[in-house]
Amino acid sequence: MWAQIINTVIGIWIIIAPSVLSYSGLGTDNCHIVGPVIATFAIVACWEATRVVGKINIPLGLWFLVAPWVLGYEETLPIVNDMVCGALIIAFALVKGKVKGRFGGGWQAIRQSGSLHEREAQNEV
Amino acid sequence: MSTQKEKNTPPGWDYNPSGWDDRIPIVVLALIGTGIATYLALYQLGVITTVWEPFFGQGSETILNSSISNILPIPDAALGAIAYFVDVVSGMIGGTRRWKNMPWMVVVFGIAVGPLGLVSILLVILQPVLFDSWCTLCLASAVISVAMIGPAMDELLASLQYLKRVKNAGRSTWKAFWGVKEVVNQVN
Repeated sequence: MWAQIINTVIGIWIIIAPSVLSYSGLGTDNCHIVGPVIATFAIVACWEATRVVGKINIPLGLWFLVAPWVLGYEETLPIVNDMVCGALIIAFALVKGKVKGRFGGGWQAIRQSGSLHEREAQNEV
Repeated sequence: MSTQKEKNTPPGWDYNPSGWDDRIPIVVLALIGTGIATYLALYQLGVITTVWEPFFGQGSETILNSSISNILPIPDAALGAIAYFVDVVSGMIGGTRRWKNMPWMVVVFGIAVGPLGLVSILLVILQPVLFDSWCTLCLASAVISVAMIGPAMDELLASLQYLKRVKNAGRSTWKAFWGVKEVVNQVN
């Protein structure tokens, strides 16, 4: 959960970074578009049952590693900030954290046969 | 009492996602969201003439009077208030076994909470990108609607797993979805 909280904070930082570090051009819009998305997935992933949603931030972190070059940033500070944030987001998105609940086998158990909830339901009869 | 609690817990789970301790916090958040969205809608409808904006100067006025916020027949904050109220109602209806005996209400709740959060994030993105402004209460509303998604989805998961077991048993998932007793009583 702490890893997802950190990614939430990084996502919010990305939203405000353009005003603090004086981004110009496409970098500003990029941060204003992708920052809220990262923060959203990180917040939803704070709960164990939806932890898997945090993984969506891995490709979004990758995007921030390459965005300065794809979008042609010119100032150093925005380039460094985007790449550092991207690397950190990937690292924390990979942290699964403690999942104590069993949740009947989770989301894949809706399709997979022989899942935990099916086995336990049979034992209850 | 504890056996009653165990009885309501879905198989393979450690707690009951339809329990009131799970649902009340979400309903409280939705009530706060209803209040904020109603206030913003009253401004958009011209019932009140000023709107509270502590941080971004003219930001709230710019956003709430923007072309996007009036793209539909009724202002977007009014739609938000309606959506939050659907969250409140669909969060309250049904007992603590509703993941099993009222799956349709759980699905309505899940659909009301999930997409509402996603739409509000879309609106957050549009604020700086299209209008170069921010609206404090709009942001607060977005945070609330996103915070509701995680805790609401576990109940949806329990209901979908139940419908899977109904299907396994060769019973009608359609009837189970609507909570028809002859099906619900026969499948664990």
